[in-house]
This record gives sequence, structure tokens and C-alpha cells, in this order.
Amino acid sequence: MRTADEIRALLHATLASTSADEAEVRYSDLRELGTRFGDNAITQNIATARESVTVDVYFGRQKGTVETLDLSRDGLAAAVARAEGVARAVPEDPELVPLPGPQVYGARPPSYFADVAELAPEQVASDVAQVVAAARAAGFVASGYFEAVAAVEAVANSKGLFGHQAHTDLRYGTTLHGPAGSGKAAANTSARAEMDVADLVQTAVANARLAQSPTAIEPGDYTVIFEPLAAAQLLAFLVFGMSAREAAEGATPFSGQVGQRLLSEKVTVGLVTDDVTLPAPVFGEAGLAVEPRSWVRNGVVTRLRHDRYWAAETGESPDPSLAPLCMAGEDRSAEELVSACPRGLLVKNLWYIRFVDQKTLLLTGMTRDGVFLVEDGQVVRSVKNLRWNESPVVFMQNVLALSHPERVAGWLPLQAPAVMSADFTFTSVTDSV
Amino acid sequence: MQDLTAIALEVAGSAGASFADIRIVDERRRHLFVRRRSLRSIRDDASLGYAVRVLLDGAWGFASSTRLDAGGVAATAQRAVQIARASRQVPKEVPAQMAAAARHVDTRVGPCAEDPFAMPAGAQADLLLEASNRMMDVEGITATYVALDLTRTRRIVANTDGSYLDLTNTFTEPWINCTAVVNGESQSRRYQRGGRQAGFEWVREIDPVGSARGWAEDAVMKCRAAEVEPGLYDLVLDPMHLSLTMHESVGHPSELDRILGWEANFAGRSFIRPEDIGSLQYGSPVVSFTVDNTLEGGLGSWFYDDDGTPMQRFPMIRDGVLVGVSCTRETAPLVGWEASNGCCRSDSFDRFPINRIPNLYMEPGPAGVTPDDLIAGVDRGIYIYGQGSFSIDQERRNFQFGGDQFWLIEHGKRTKPLRKVTYQAMTTEFWGSCDGVAGPEHWQSHGTPNCGKGEPSQSMRMTHGASFTRFRNIRVGDGSR
Repeated sequence: MRTADEIRALLHATLASTSADEAEVRYSDLRELGTRFGDNAITQNIATARESVTVDVYFGRQKGTVETLDLSRDGLAAAVARAEGVARAVPEDPELVPLPGPQVYGARPPSYFADVAELAPEQVASDVAQVVAAARAAGFVASGYFEAVAAVEAVANSKGLFGHQAHTDLRYGTTLHGPAGSGKAAANTSARAEMDVADLVQTAVANARLAQSPTAIEPGDYTVIFEPLAAAQLLAFLVFGMSAREAAEGATPFSGQVGQRLLSEKVTVGLVTDDVTLPAPVFGEAGLAVEPRSWVRNGVVTRLRHDRYWAAETGESPDPSLAPLCMAGEDRSAEELVSACPRGLLVKNLWYIRFVDQKTLLLTGMTRDGVFLVEDGQVVRSVKNLRWNESPVVFMQNVLALSHPERVAGWLPLQAPAVMSADFTFTSVTDSV
Repeated sequence: MQDLTAIALEVAGSAGASFADIRIVDERRRHLFVRRRSLRSIRDDASLGYAVRVLLDGAWGFASSTRLDAGGVAATAQRAVQIARASRQVPKEVPAQMAAAARHVDTRVGPCAEDPFAMPAGAQADLLLEASNRMMDVEGITATYVALDLTRTRRIVANTDGSYLDLTNTFTEPWINCTAVVNGESQSRRYQRGGRQAGFEWVREIDPVGSARGWAEDAVMKCRAAEVEPGLYDLVLDPMHLSLTMHESVGHPSELDRILGWEANFAGRSFIRPEDIGSLQYGSPVVSFTVDNTLEGGLGSWFYDDDGTPMQRFPMIRDGVLVGVSCTRETAPLVGWEASNGCCRSDSFDRFPINRIPNLYMEPGPAGVTPDDLIAGVDRGIYIYGQGSFSIDQERRNFQFGGDQFWLIEHGKRTKPLRKVTYQAMTTEFWGSCDGVAGPEHWQSHGTPNCGKGEPSQSMRMTHGASFTRFRNIRVGDGSR
């Protein structure tokens, strides 16, 4: 793996080789170890290494981009020449924004750990073996994906900007299937020392046991308790819908909502950079420094996301990144939400979420990996999976109570609480597990 | 290249592999993206990389690299062997084996009349900008998204069967969408034909510039359309719409790796059981589906899959009965089949090939049956054009689809446009309610460029097709119910 100084030299040499008015060069080194398992056995096991350089060149308002995996001197020269050829050939872009100058990057908690970057396939297989042994012992069939990622990124431009960041990510997720129900457990950590495989196994087995023997329940509007994994998925759709430009065009529910109380006063969402459990990049788009942001505070929309062009048009600062996202919670556990629920559905996970109507952010999707009827503060039985049709805006307007937030496994760094919300609309039932 | 491929196979063979292959992928990709009146991005990327796949004692190892020289190939093959040895810690109940396959030595090049990479990028950008500007010029349009993906992939696949394949395919995939906001209502209209294995002639055929104004006017019209009243309706679905419905409710559940539970953690399993092949009543007697990975211009017509199996045409559903599923050389023996039907593909050099939906289409009905004939047989129904919202459960039973445009059918006639139409059904009940299919003269194909599956996620392309088709008594909602 190249050092930061070697990468800087590579990028600066590439910048020096172009005759363009301006240029930006980005470096990426992505290494993955990925072990898939299904039907209680490893089905795939991969190791990949992909090192690339992407060159953006600008002639006035003309821009061309080329990515290459050939990082030799000749390979980079060819990439620069091809990018220049593209840039000179294409029309001017009226929305082009000049490249930023050098940035001051904030300090971050450690996010790169050698125990993940150097993880051996035998170690990952050993972790998979623990899951499969526990599944077999409990009478379940295990599937899952255990992945170790080590990533280095750097950016340099002709105005003197240089940024370098690295992170590791250990992503373990497993699903245990019984005859009539499934249970999931998943965790992301930056360091292997933080990954508790035994806890993961225990959670998956417990969830799978709880989910067996479901019975159908009539679709309709229910109070729901979404565990963090489910709540996080609706949160992501909500925040990805917060484009300032599209709101200005009247195409989203955020039109005219900045400064207004759109959501429950219990809802506070922001981009955080100092949480040790939630790795944050130091730079985002165009190498701009990523700084903390408030998107929603006590239900009031405080800010919408501005790309560089829209920020320049409106006099705002750009938002080079949306994440890591953190939704604040309240001082109680998810179990206490169940205890406080007179009647409702506890939902573990969601699946296949798609827009139905962008204007209202109306979504449809399925429940997955366990739905449970709650009565008088107790889980009384497992129920069959349901289709739902609801907007995350309505879900966040109808919040009744929240739990402590926790890191949620997934591709997006995110913290979310369990959310209890009223009148969530379920529209049909399925026998699928 | 053969000296390098031989190194990988030698390393694997020396380690005792029962099967090994090396797949070298040389890819050129140009991506143009216009948003409103701005050329937001134009990329012209090149990548050359390879992967070695090793089957050792019934367990898989896979390693990829971009270092394409003797030392790099040998090290990558050694790494794949190491990983296969690690996989043996959690072995399969039946050790993995590859179905027997003949040795193939072949060089093939797919259709491409007008080489998109020989054209100036500026001319392509001008065309997209002109199409976008024409849409933006229509009152009420607030945003457009016009993109074009041009891809040329050369794959060299060499394996321990002695096969050596040199295969080149070119794909042209446009994406066009416009959004209107009128009187507080927002609606979008999307281009519907998808991609094709072809050169730039595909862009000329769909004529984005000539079609742009009509698409934009459709989006404005949708904002003014009446909202649907939820209830039971008969549906007449056009071929573009049905291509998505069949993709989700026929293509995915009939992947044998899902049926065997290998996708259970993420993409999900299937309601089909292995013993259903040959007997499951999937639809009504007018429902027949065919797999055709030899379809001219099909996005899945790759000559040979990544297992080195020749691509094929075979029946999947005949007269409503499931008679086949898609499989790979590894999964075929697990249901007692001697050979694969060639549905194993990977989306890049550094991804493990998996069971993918092939080109899959619905057979047309009798010649002479027209879409108007189908509509004439509907008292209260909805005609749906194009693809919109879509979602289906993890075993592919319960689904909900929207569409691009909708018209009410009353007493055998299309009467007025509707908006916010969705319908929900269960897969076999839905296909069981099919009672009319228009003739072959109305059959059209749709190229799906972005089917997601696998961990790590892979995006794959395939082509679907259908004629206009009628379904009875389907539950229609307005999206929220």
C-alpha cells in the first residue's frame, strides 16, 4: 500500500503533466476480503484489490473526466491526454463551479485499523464457522456476508488542495432461517477488536427463535416500533430527499420548509464528525472539508443539502457530504418502547423500499426478519410479513417515543434510535420469510 | 494472453484444484450525464483487470488484480488457492463441483454498427443537451436527467477444461427522465425502451431529440390527470411495463441459486422449490416464457457465460407450467442436471460470477390479436404504459408496481388519463389471472441495464420482452393504500 507522501507525489506529478486551466486528481485504493455463506456453508470467498486514479481537467467551462487502473507513468499520461481530449470536445457547462483552494481539515477519531486491513481469510472463515455451528445447533440455516474493507482516498488539485484519508470497515451480517421465520444480526466496526462475533451469533439466534410460527394479521394503520435497523432505512430516504434545489423547484415535501416545524419535535438529525463509533470522512466532494451539520432540530428543518452550484447560486456554503448521519434519541431502551406500547407492531427490518411519489416521499416496501404483535407492553406473537406504504415524513411526524441511538450496520455510516410512531400504514400480507 | 492464462491454471492445478479459470476483462466505458441545461459529467474510463477462480476440495477461492504480468498472475492465483483453503473451514454438505462442459475455443464480437467510441464525445454531449433543452423548454418542466452509458467489454475466459474464449460486446444504454411541477403536483416521465447490445445506432433509433418535447408534454399531462379510485380493475399492460413485472416476479424467483438459499441473507430466497420444476402452475394456460441468451441485440447475449458455457434458448414456462429455471455449472448438478444452461455472469473483473437473470421474454399470443382487442374486452380497467415504482418481497410473492402513464378503460374504450396508480398482487395469482395476449406483431423488447443482486452488490444487464397482455380483477391503489 502506498504511503500518503507517495500518493501526494503521484497526484502532483499527474497534475504537472496537464496543460489544462485547472485540474483535480483523485486516488483510490480499495481492498476487500468478502466471505459469503448460505445453506450453512461458504459459497463465495473473494479478495480484491483495485487501485485507481481519476483525472478531471478543465478548459474554461469545459470539463473532461477519465478513470484509469493503470497507474504507470504511461498509463497516467494516457489518462490525462484522453481527459484533455474529452474536455476540449464538449460544450461549456453553465453550472461549472471553480475548484476550491486548500482546505483545513478537522481532526477525527482513528478510523483505520491494521487488524482489519491485514485480516486473513482464515480468520473470517473462522468467524463464519461460529455462526454456522450456532445455527445448526439451534436448528436454523445460516446465510450471510462477512466483509473486511480497507480504503485509502486522496485528492489534489491545481489550486494547491491536497487531502488524504483512510478507513477500515468490518461489516458482518447474518440471517438465520427456520421453517417459518428468520432472524438477522449485523454489525459494522472500524477495528476487529470491536467486533463481538459471539454477540452477533446470540442476537441472530434469539431473533430467529422469536420469529418462528407467525400468523397473519389484518393490514391497516398500526402504531409501530421500528428497531434501529428499520428506522435507519426510512431516515436515509428522508435525508436523501433534502435537496435544496429540488425543494426550490417544488418537487419535494421540503419546499418552503426551512425554518418550519415539519417533523415531530422529538426528531433531531445531523452530520456528526466526532463520534468514535461513527467514522466520518475529513473531505467529501471536490476535496471540501466535511464539517458538522444540523439538518433537523426538534422537528424544525434547519438546512437542506446544497451542491456546489446551488450553494454558489444561493450564497450558501456547499455540503460535500450528507453523512455520517446521527438521529438523536431519548433516554430509554428499545425494550422500554415495547413496554410503553398498548398495541402495535414491532418491526425488525425492512426490504425493497422504493419511491411511489417523490413529491410526498411516499414509499413502499416490505417488513423482513421478524414482525411482532405488541399488546399491553408485551410481545404476544410473531406475525407474517407485511407490505407497507408510507412516507418517512409522516413516520417522523407521528413519532411517539425514541430509544437511545446506536450504530446501524449498512453501507451508510449512521446512528439511529428505535422509533415508536403512530398510524403507520400496512397494505397487504405475504407468506414469504 | 495465453501465456498468462496458462500460469494461473498451472498454479491452480498444482495446488490440486478440480476446476479453475482466469477471466481477463478489458473494459472501456463512456458516461455522459446532463441535468437540466448543464453537462454535469462526461467520463471516458478504461479498466483492465482479471480474476482467478479456484475450486479446491469442493470449496471456492477467488482473487483479483490489475497487475497483468507473469508474477502478478502467479501471485493472484496463489491468493485464490489460499482463500479456497480457508473456505474449506465451512464446507458444503455436498462439495461443490462443476457440471461437465465441452472445451470451447472461440472468438466472437457482438453487434455494433456505429462504434460509439469512434465518435467525438462532443457530438454525443450536444445530442443529449439538445434533448434536455427541448424538454426544459416545455412550460412546467423543472428538471431533466439525460444520461448515456456506452460500454465495450472484452472478456478472455480460460479454464481447466481447456476452453479459451475471447468475447467482445458493446452496450448502449440511455437514461432519460423529466419532472414537471404544475399547480403543486409533481410528476415524472421516463424514457422506456432501455438499452441494447448495439452501437450508437440505438440512440439514433430512439431519437431523444425528436421525442423530447413529447416526453415533457406527457409529464405535464400527468400532473393534470385525475387520481385513481382504488378498487378491483382489469389491467391491460404494455410490453415495457410487463418487462419489469416479469423481471421481478418470474426472472428472479427462477434463479436456482435463490431457490437453493444462497441469496438468503440479502437478495432473498424464492417461493419456488426444486421439486416444483416441471409441475408448478405459475400462470394461466396463455402464459409462456422463454429464455433466449442468443437474442439478437439482447443485453444478456454474451455468446458464453463466465462459466464458459455457450448461451442458449430454452423454455421456462409453457402453457402456464414452470418447466425450467436459470442455473450455473455449480448449481445444475444440485437438481440433477448434467449441464448448465449458461446463466452465470459477473459485472466486472473483480466480482465472483453468479446466477443472473438471462434474456427472458413472454411469448406473444395468436397473430392478429391487437391491444385494442384486449381493451375491448374490459368493462372497467386501466391501461398501463411503461415502468414506474416497483417492490417485491424477499421470496418474490407479494409485489406492487406503478407505471409511467395510466388511462382509465370504460366499456371497452380508453377514456381519460389517471395518475398515482399502483397495483398489488401475488405472483402466481397474478399470472393466473392473465386471459389475453396480443399477437407477435405487437411484441417489443426492453433492455434492463441495472439489475442488482449479490454481496458485494453486482449490477447486471439483460433484455425482456412481451406483447400487450390483459389481467383480470387486480387490486389497484393510489400508492398510499
